[in-house]
Amino acid sequence: MLTLLAKLFHALNSDSSVRQIALAIALGFIVGLSPLLTLHNIVILFFVLLIRIHLGSFILAVGVFSGISYLLSPLIVQVGESILTSPALAETFTMLYQVDLFKLAHWHHTYILGAWVLGVVLCIPIYFISKVLIEKYRTHVMAFFEKFRIVQALKASKFYRLYTSFAGESAFSKGAL
Amino acid sequence: MKRFIRWQGLVAFVVLLGIVVGGLYFFAESLTKKAIIKSAEATFGAEVNISEVQLSYSPLKLTVVDLQVTDSDKPEQNLFSFEQAAASVDVWQYLFGKVIIDELEVSQLAFSTVRAKPGEVYLTNATDDSAAEDSLADQAKEMLPEVDMKLPDVKTLLNDDNLITVKAGNALQQSYKVEQEKLAALKAELPNKAKIKSYQNKVKALGKMKVSSLADIEKIKTEFEAIKAEFKADQALVKKAKKQVSASKTLLANQLSAVKDGPAKDWQQIEKTYQLESIDTEDFAHILFGEQAREYVTKAKWAYEKVAPFISSSEDGKNTAASNVHAKGRFVYFKEETPLPSILIKKATFSVAMPTSQFAIEASELTHQHWIRGKNSMLAIHSASNGEFNFKTQFNLAKSGDFNSDGNWSISNRTLSDTKLTDSKALTLSLTKAQLDANGDFSLINDEVSATNQLVLNKASYQGEAKSKLTKLLVDTVKSLDSLAIDVGVNGLITKPELSIGSSLNDALTGAFKEQVAGKLNEFKGKVNKGLNDKLANTLKLGDSQTAELLDLEALLTDTDKALIDLKNSDIVKQQQKKLEDKVKNKAKDKVEDKLKDKLGDLFG
Repeated sequence: MLTLLAKLFHALNSDSSVRQIALAIALGFIVGLSPLLTLHNIVILFFVLLIRIHLGSFILAVGVFSGISYLLSPLIVQVGESILTSPALAETFTMLYQVDLFKLAHWHHTYILGAWVLGVVLCIPIYFISKVLIEKYRTHVMAFFEKFRIVQALKASKFYRLYTSFAGESAFSKGAL
Repeated sequence: MKRFIRWQGLVAFVVLLGIVVGGLYFFAESLTKKAIIKSAEATFGAEVNISEVQLSYSPLKLTVVDLQVTDSDKPEQNLFSFEQAAASVDVWQYLFGKVIIDELEVSQLAFSTVRAKPGEVYLTNATDDSAAEDSLADQAKEMLPEVDMKLPDVKTLLNDDNLITVKAGNALQQSYKVEQEKLAALKAELPNKAKIKSYQNKVKALGKMKVSSLADIEKIKTEFEAIKAEFKADQALVKKAKKQVSASKTLLANQLSAVKDGPAKDWQQIEKTYQLESIDTEDFAHILFGEQAREYVTKAKWAYEKVAPFISSSEDGKNTAASNVHAKGRFVYFKEETPLPSILIKKATFSVAMPTSQFAIEASELTHQHWIRGKNSMLAIHSASNGEFNFKTQFNLAKSGDFNSDGNWSISNRTLSDTKLTDSKALTLSLTKAQLDANGDFSLINDEVSATNQLVLNKASYQGEAKSKLTKLLVDTVKSLDSLAIDVGVNGLITKPELSIGSSLNDALTGAFKEQVAGKLNEFKGKVNKGLNDKLANTLKLGDSQTAELLDLEALLTDTDKALIDLKNSDIVKQQQKKLEDKVKNKAKDKVEDKLKDKLGDLFG
């Protein structure tokens, strides 16, 4: 966990692309919201590994949003329930239900469909919010905290040593594995 | 392109996927074993043991070897156990979220087997309603000696404060006291005879007053109006008293009626408490076979209670999600060409090992969503050891939640030996040997059960001991019977079924029993009823005097009311007016006569 946090702080403070981190958080949100081993999560994982986005941020986002999804589960189920039982969508879903891939993805399950829909809809604002926050952090917060003596004291700590060990790896500066 | 894509990620994905699939493949059996044990322990509340779980993938077949479920009531025994259960699962449907088992085979299913070491119990049954059943059985067993040897003491019975006759009598007295106080308070406010007399005198005096002018009439009118105002206040009091008397009469009449009904109700209660009503129906079969029949009904009830929650929550578990903090959701199914329920066992076979016989069970179409395929679940049990036993049933659950089931069963040529029928202080009776033929049918619609069963014991021999005259008579009669037919009916709610047991034994014993017990019972009934009627008579005497008092008061009120109405309607003013008018008329007449006389005097004088 300490390592993951160190990676995140490094990503925030390094030259890693803001978009790479924001996209990692947004995709981590989709994955974290629904049960881990679902078809759409495997597909997202495939793209996460294939596209250059920040993996540390992605893993951390999955962990955080998995916890949040536990609390949000009644809402997620309600969203899925209302979509799947909506009379207006009944014909569409009956048609989709004939496709094996739809059933294999368990999109006829209230939790999984609710998580998927909420994930896809909210990942866009999450992407932009994350982007703005990271930019603000880099320009204001980081510079502000740098001035404090306590930060300088922290720099002498084990955490900071760990942090700098990651900072030394060139791969991170590119946002790769 | 290279700026956005990292090809080594593809390798990482394949490796990760390989790890997950490999992990599932290698650990599937132990994970499945843990999952089965965890869910079974949660369901049965006691330790569950499984020796091994085997999985084969083409076709997917799950085999559970040597499962033992601890009986939470008797941890040294298993609730049930089996040697092996194999289920072939439709993988594709499983991936779609449905559990479709093409074939389930359970071998050597056994109940109440002894465990190698006692199992752990996680949940204990909070309520045990078998106590109520036992007490019923005990009551039935104890009935005969009680009737025969010690009927309840009449004096003690009659001194019981809980008798309805006594209670109703006390209530009547209490009410009378309260009503009497109310009436006495009203009576004190009522105008007495002297007051009425004074009103009458005042009115009379007004009538005698000399009237010479209109002013006098006006004065009489004013005085009469003043007296009338006094009447009105008194009349209102009389009206109030009349209302109170009427309410008191109704209340006391109702309570008197309750007192009169008391003895009959008390006798009914005594009959019920001491089971005397059962003796009237000569229900001997109930005494001898009731306990056995009740045991079977209790077993059926237990099975129903285990299954009922699944039936009631079968409608896709729509409402279960909301109550949990962590909602799990549900599958929503849509129309398809060949619809399938979410859980279905197409065919199942069980071999059951009981201590004395082997059973083969065959079932098909086991599901909780029968409406999807429009087929009923079928269950057939067969045993050929020690005679032949057959049981067939079909059942279905409608989408609305209605449960329907019917079936039949039969036993032929089954040899019974050393079967205890009843065991009490005064009577022990057991069946040494007999040939049993039986059949029955039943239906269960929701929780309403209706079953008729006929059992015939042939070539029967009995052994028993009796300590009282009556039980000796019973044992001798039973021993003399070579053949015995018993009809058992079960009707009503399955959670509270009513048992009716009829038997040829009843007819055989009726005459002899009646002779023995009828005299004693009649004497007892006579004494109790006499005591109750005496109590009633005392209360009624009191009731009569109270009624007389009320009637007196009512008569007094009627008289007073009438006197006041008469005074109110008195035409004293009119009478005086008429007097004045007559006076004036006479005066005028005299004046005319005088004038006439004067004129005639002048003329002739």
